[in-house]
Amino acid sequence: MAKSRSLHIRFFAVLREQAGVSELEFPTDAHTPSELYAELRAERGLVFPAALLRVAINEKYATMGTPLQAGDRVVFIPPVAGG
Amino acid sequence: MFELTNQLIDSAALRARLARPEAGALVVFEGWVRNHHAGRPVSRLEYEAFDELARLEGDAITSETQEEHPGCTVLCVHRTGSLGIGELAVWIGVASPHRHAAFLACRQVIEEIKRRLPVWKKEHHSGNLAEWVNCTTEATANRLGAENYYERQTSLPEVGAAGQTALAAASVLVVGVGGLGCPAALYLATSGVGRLTLADAGRVEVSNLHRQILFTADDVGAAKATVAAARLRAQNPLVRIEAHAADVTPANVRALVTGRTVVLDCTDNFATRFLLHDACRFAGVPLVSAAVYRFEGELNIFQPHATGCLHCVWSGRPAGELEAVANCAGAPVFAPAVGVLGLMQAAETLKIILGLADPAAARQSRLVNLLDGSMQSIERLADPSCPVCGNPVASPSAKSGPLDASPLVLTAEQLVALGPVQTIALLEPGETLDAVTASAHTIAVPMGDLVRIRELAAQGPTVLTCRHGLRSVALARLLRVEGNRRIYALPGSTSTIRPSGVSSGQGSGRNG
Repeated sequence: MAKSRSLHIRFFAVLREQAGVSELEFPTDAHTPSELYAELRAERGLVFPAALLRVAINEKYATMGTPLQAGDRVVFIPPVAGG
Repeated sequence: MFELTNQLIDSAALRARLARPEAGALVVFEGWVRNHHAGRPVSRLEYEAFDELARLEGDAITSETQEEHPGCTVLCVHRTGSLGIGELAVWIGVASPHRHAAFLACRQVIEEIKRRLPVWKKEHHSGNLAEWVNCTTEATANRLGAENYYERQTSLPEVGAAGQTALAAASVLVVGVGGLGCPAALYLATSGVGRLTLADAGRVEVSNLHRQILFTADDVGAAKATVAAARLRAQNPLVRIEAHAADVTPANVRALVTGRTVVLDCTDNFATRFLLHDACRFAGVPLVSAAVYRFEGELNIFQPHATGCLHCVWSGRPAGELEAVANCAGAPVFAPAVGVLGLMQAAETLKIILGLADPAAARQSRLVNLLDGSMQSIERLADPSCPVCGNPVASPSAKSGPLDASPLVLTAEQLVALGPVQTIALLEPGETLDAVTASAHTIAVPMGDLVRIRELAAQGPTVLTCRHGLRSVALARLLRVEGNRRIYALPGSTSTIRPSGVSSGQGSGRNG
């Protein structure tokens, strides 16, 4: 069955290495980043724990429960280490 | 203003961009790539940014900081790409009419960057080893879970969840990471002391290994504080462990002890022991001290306001003289003796944090002998004329002038009888000298500026005051011990020193 929408996902740092790609068009039925990450874990072999992630939707920090819209640009943010 | 760049950062050019006629101060923070982290050598760092969001967040951080510190102009540049040792990773400059705001704003920017700027760094070690910083230890911490880690401890009714929270909120300094410091720090870390700082300038030697149990044969030659901190982080990733791989000196001791819940004296020399003791007393921090001789050891808890201090015990003999007869470097030592005493220090520290300490223990020396298996407590001598913890009425000696006989803490009458004196008002950050009530001879000096206070006090009879009247007395005592015979303190609180921003009526405050 066709997935309900497609999202644009970018990966950085440890997630980029685990996913093996830096970006991805991803058809999904996930309603929230939390559900999306669970799908990605299963499909792309990500092992990084979801509890430590933050998420940005369309270049803004959001919560793991924010509703996703078709075409959203989603970035999962592992613990940062600037400076 | 915030910028991301993959080019070398030119600090001189950035500095020039902040030049403005109204600025009286520029505070600059530079983050450099260093050759080690968490006890491991680092060969280079690779910075990766989520460009679009990093620029937005960076701009948000600098403009929020400018709003919170009016008058400050903030410029921040962060690098991306592969950086070698010594390269500049981040540059933050804050120009401001006054230094105080500039320091605060600069600190705020770097802390916010570390918290929320979507930038990651990959640390490259020797060979092909590399790891993303914060992504491995954090993940471990998450996997462990604090509830499971401390389960067998929080189920003690004397600890419980509240006790564990108190431990997590505690900040402990361990000075000396040797035979005593290793076991003490290990158990403080596993018990969940939230912030633990290990101070030691030494390097691991082969002859340390029989008793300094945080080190292995591979660590010989490495800095003790750094190796021990890495070892403790592995043992308990849930707590914050910091290494101070340098000596504790008169210049840095106050910054190291201030704000601590407890300080542990695990040193092997009298100079540092006295320095720590006096600094803890001045900062109001309990000191848990231990010393070992062959099969025997002694434990002392010095509470900051109690009598019977280290000076009473050694009755004013200078540290150098004691050192000559009790130099521990190279002295024979039975390894379990330092282990037992170090663990007793850990136990007493945890008890102080948990509110389980017996007040009587703070007046006693606990003597342990592992050869005959005995342990005894002896009431420490409290010298009523001790210049540090007593209330001395110094007796005139052949050398001393008439002022020598006067007490340290002056009554109003004694102050008048003294004639013209200078007053030094000791200000903590955020305190202001009241322009209306302060006398013309009052000089305001930051509490921590001991160099300036000593200089001023050396010029003539000097009275110290502070807002609550406690630290001025403690500091005056220290200066007396140092040999200044014309230093005095006024007891009690003074309305002349106020928190900044609180008006005394008609008068407006002025900063010192």
